[in-house]
Amino acid sequence: MKTRTLILAAAVAVALAFVPMFGSDVMIQFGINALVLAVLAQSWNILGGFGGYVSFGNSVFYGLGTYGTAIAMTTYNLPFGVGLVIGVVLAMLGAALVGVPILRLRGPYFAIATLGLNGAMMAIFSNLPIAGTNIGLVLPLTRNDTMFYELSLALLVACTLTVFWISRSRYGMGLIAIREDEDAAGTMGVNATLYKVTALILASIFTAVAGGIHAYWSTFVDPASAFDSTLNVRMVIMCVFGGPGTVFGPVIGSFVLSTVYEVLAAQISTAAALLFGVVIVLAVIFMPRGLADIMRDRANFTLRYFIRNIRENRL
Amino acid sequence: MVLAQILLNGVLLGGLYGLMALGMALVWGVLNIVNLSHGALIMVGGYVVYYLFTLAGIDPFLALPIAMAVMFSLGFALQWGLLNLVVRSKMLNTLLITFGLDVVLTFTAQLLFSADFRTINPSYAGANFAIGGLTVPTVRLAAFGVAVGLATGIWVLLNKLPLGRAIRATAQNLTAARLYGVNPRMLYAVTFGIGAALAGAAGGLYGMISNLTPYIGASLTAKSFVIAIIGGLANPFNVILGGIFVGVAEAVTALYIGPTYTDVISFGLLVAVLVLRPSRAVRAA
Repeated sequence: MKTRTLILAAAVAVALAFVPMFGSDVMIQFGINALVLAVLAQSWNILGGFGGYVSFGNSVFYGLGTYGTAIAMTTYNLPFGVGLVIGVVLAMLGAALVGVPILRLRGPYFAIATLGLNGAMMAIFSNLPIAGTNIGLVLPLTRNDTMFYELSLALLVACTLTVFWISRSRYGMGLIAIREDEDAAGTMGVNATLYKVTALILASIFTAVAGGIHAYWSTFVDPASAFDSTLNVRMVIMCVFGGPGTVFGPVIGSFVLSTVYEVLAAQISTAAALLFGVVIVLAVIFMPRGLADIMRDRANFTLRYFIRNIRENRL
Repeated sequence: MVLAQILLNGVLLGGLYGLMALGMALVWGVLNIVNLSHGALIMVGGYVVYYLFTLAGIDPFLALPIAMAVMFSLGFALQWGLLNLVVRSKMLNTLLITFGLDVVLTFTAQLLFSADFRTINPSYAGANFAIGGLTVPTVRLAAFGVAVGLATGIWVLLNKLPLGRAIRATAQNLTAARLYGVNPRMLYAVTFGIGAALAGAAGGLYGMISNLTPYIGASLTAKSFVIAIIGGLANPFNVILGGIFVGVAEAVTALYIGPTYTDVISFGLLVAVLVLRPSRAVRAA
């Protein structure tokens, strides 16, 4: 990766940290949501982008982080930090328990098996008395949007640094090898199961912390918001739109899409979601390798690039 | 006796589930597209039948063929104009584009038809008759019959007609089929059209048995998905059997464990099939 890109990324992160000093309340609240979504897209990137295993079940870790924090803070009156740790531990256990049997499946079968995880977890938590069953839990109120903003930003930076390390490490090379050809990777001495399960556990850590922060911020948790299946879809789309398997693609993708959605929702409230769908359809047709691929080389931003993409993939 | 009635309900509903999954299994098996907009197509088909019934006064069962024709045209156009552009791309991309389509269809439906609950409610909607102490709802029995009839039709099409031979040949080997004179663009569009037509029929029947809203698509996609995996992608009758299996499992779960757990059960079945017998699922694809 070019030094220029890294300096630019660091500058953007520092600039973002100062947003709460100037931005309006609405701006900061939009920022928290966008940052949390970026964390989800970036953690999805670890197994999905580098390892090539598409998971539609990562929202389960978000939900476990949410509930871990909420239960610790409401039922046991523990501080926020301890709640986050409990949420992370729950999510890591969940990732290990789910990952070991399901990650034996390959390709689309893994994606399919994760698809129902979310609904199953939602049904279980709707029936748990400790989690407030269907009614949910109310967390203590803290009116400090700036703190939540900075926490989310710090989490995104930590997550992106982890992905940066992965992209340059032996571990990341192993994941990429699994993505390209799992059998060949095994022959070269990559312990595929170990790599995949640790990738899922790594993703679960960041996803759970994001869930915990969002739960404390929104002060209310119920099964429908904690195990929101559209969250899965959003993180996958944002990551793929930006560029899976790249360090900054998922972050750029989620910032761009969050902004597009927000602007559309403000302009034409009812048709916003519809146009969001149109954006996805057009993005898949014209830039199947994501925004990062266009930004890597400015020469790519031409009509010929888009036409070549269609030529490659059409019947 | 309660158990027998529950089993009967599960079987009758399961036939409809199987019909829902049939179109998805066909498109998946032949085009290798996991169509995440399949549930949304079912929803659109339901609305077509609803409006043919309420505005034009056509009996819902007679409206089914019309809805199937409409949905065939929609499916044909979608595949020809849109999906054919990305069909050779990675599976992730076809998943994404069909998800985008799902969003577009859902919110177009919300704009056009509003978010109100709709039910296709012909005069005979509540009719039923008793056999040996069991109550048989007429509409559900008829829906089951339609599902089995359409599955038989698809089986005949795939195994006995030239078009079916071309479809099966393309599913096995696209290049070889092309060498034998199959036009893949046309064939893909026709196959996707048939899948959409089956979704349309399922939607009409679903509207008579349950409620239509623009948002039913996602859960119906997931259910179709599970059934397509359990039933396999090759034989239409196995897909119907898969639907019956899931329908009965759901009904029994609702009776003995509680209705909120029905989703856990269909997911549990899916994971059990995938983990315990992955070779079967892989061969089916």
